[in-house]
Amino acid sequence: MGRLRFIDVTLRDGHQCLWATRMTTAMMTPILSTIDRAGYDYVNMLGGAVFDVCVRYLHENPWRRVEMLSSRLSTPTDGFLRGQSLYTFELFPDDIVELNSQVLARNGLKNVTVYDALNDNRNVEVPIASAKAAGMTVTAVTVYTVSPVHTDDYYAARIRELIALGADRVGVKDPTGLLTPERAKTLFPVVMRAAGETKVELHSHCQSSLAPEVYSEAIRAGFHYVHTAVMPLANGASLPAVEEIAERAAALGVDTALDMEAIREVSGYFSWLCIREGKPRGRVVAYDPSLYSHQVPGGMISNLKSTLQTMRMGDRLPEILEEVGRVREDLGYPILVSPFAQYVVTQAVLNVMQGERYRTIPDEIRKYAMGYYGRLAATPSREFLERAQVEPGVLAGERAGTHVEPWVPRLRQALGPKAHDEDILLAAFYDKELLAPLAGEARSYSYRTSPLLELVQYLRRRPEVGEARVRVAGTELALAR
Amino acid sequence: MGKEILSYDDLLQIVELIKSAEAFSEFHLKIGDIELDLRRSRPGTSGPAVAGAAPLPAVAESAKVGALVRIDNDIPEPAPRMSELPSDIPAESVVIRSPMVGTFYRSPEPGAKPFVEVGQRVSAETTVCIIEVMKLMNSLPAGSAGRVTHVLVADAQPVEMGQPLIVIDPKS
Repeated sequence: MGRLRFIDVTLRDGHQCLWATRMTTAMMTPILSTIDRAGYDYVNMLGGAVFDVCVRYLHENPWRRVEMLSSRLSTPTDGFLRGQSLYTFELFPDDIVELNSQVLARNGLKNVTVYDALNDNRNVEVPIASAKAAGMTVTAVTVYTVSPVHTDDYYAARIRELIALGADRVGVKDPTGLLTPERAKTLFPVVMRAAGETKVELHSHCQSSLAPEVYSEAIRAGFHYVHTAVMPLANGASLPAVEEIAERAAALGVDTALDMEAIREVSGYFSWLCIREGKPRGRVVAYDPSLYSHQVPGGMISNLKSTLQTMRMGDRLPEILEEVGRVREDLGYPILVSPFAQYVVTQAVLNVMQGERYRTIPDEIRKYAMGYYGRLAATPSREFLERAQVEPGVLAGERAGTHVEPWVPRLRQALGPKAHDEDILLAAFYDKELLAPLAGEARSYSYRTSPLLELVQYLRRRPEVGEARVRVAGTELALAR
Repeated sequence: MGKEILSYDDLLQIVELIKSAEAFSEFHLKIGDIELDLRRSRPGTSGPAVAGAAPLPAVAESAKVGALVRIDNDIPEPAPRMSELPSDIPAESVVIRSPMVGTFYRSPEPGAKPFVEVGQRVSAETTVCIIEVMKLMNSLPAGSAGRVTHVLVADAQPVEMGQPLIVIDPKS
């Protein structure tokens, strides 16, 4: 009997998709020991948005979160890296990418999952090599999208490239939930053949609500690992629920080695957090075919709506989404993930706002068309190229990382010889003002909780409760103020 | 950890019941082994917190969850008014207007030298400013040769579509 292994994304993509990435370290620590018993092979806890929100909004040092979770969990921890851009949308030089691998490994991270948003796998060469040199293992994934050029053969070629680069595991990442069971039936066997002896992972989202069915296809095709979240942080824009996929695996005669008792407790804890913190719970969404024409991730649409309102263009959303589909085609089918999703959406907004297509073309989009960030999937349309006045792919001859001079010597000089590598990296990613709030003293965390303790704390936070008496089984508790 | 005497499902059910009973002064609940009695504080006796309780995790910052994926949409409100042209501008001047709603930047990055200063000569291709739209940068060329006579908008200010930004005297 086959075995399906699970990578938990509750502490990363789950809250990134459903809670705007606002889960704090303090919300995670009380349940870590239970997560450790759940039988996951990896716990994914880091990615671009987590790193960024830690710094900008939670004022937490992201390195401390990596260190804390990696030391408290005996399950190996995993972090997603956006190729040569790491956590941001900027292109970093090789020395920053290499130093980042060393710092992650020193803080106890065991595995990195790397991908390039253009699927130009030259952009994961340095992330893979440096992660392995630092002692971590590497999963390298190819990003799925729907277009005339993103064929099954295209993906087979990408998988073979990733294996040649030394990936320990490979996978398919479907950030917008575009995979359908029908496509999975042809794509997954091709991916499995291309992977040969290398183990294969699936990471897909539930925007179209088809992902659980797609996961069943992956199990049938013999995929080794799937990415899931616990029920309250699954579905909607997030990934499938571990509970549901475990049931599907069992029905297909595949063993999971999960401890469902532990998973029930983790799910219960996060269901409670949704109530305690006033955060939304993941819900199964209705199938929406329009996702396949514009391909804009759901979270980005809600963001775009508010941006359009500040521009007083709120009523033009449908027109803009239609234009997004055309711009994507004109630009050679970039995958609508960060940062290229922003490029395509912004160009569509400009085209509609100015009433003339490509009257203004942002500098970043010209660079993209010239291949500055990597090879394009297809040549941009003639209409776009005539307006942009650029030669397509002219800069794509070299790996993108070679376009940027080393930064570490300059940053070491600026921060002084005693500067910690972690601070060198933060200075590479952020302005000084953003980093100032991170310098505070170390926080203390609680590493256990229970429903009874949460109930007492809940009653304590309700000032109108003057007296309380709780009796459960043999335990009795009386409170008064 | 052994079997919990109270489960998270119980907790969720209890809290839902407490919330729905807000209008009452007393609350008695018995479900199987679980019993809970609550009594409202008398007005004006909001005493100290329960002694011996574990330190509280910070109470949730309000339940504001807007965008689901990207959160940094801190696009400033565009200026509600359209700046008028100053009266001292010669008739033959070339006025560079913003081609879109966005944010006006005078220099390529914070702290760097401005692209142009008043009095400076420019060619048609000289970049005179950047308009940022949804975090993407759009360099604006002067469009005609001449001398910069006015920079009408301060750095990092929101601008409207069509708003005058920079004035060039093509004859000087």
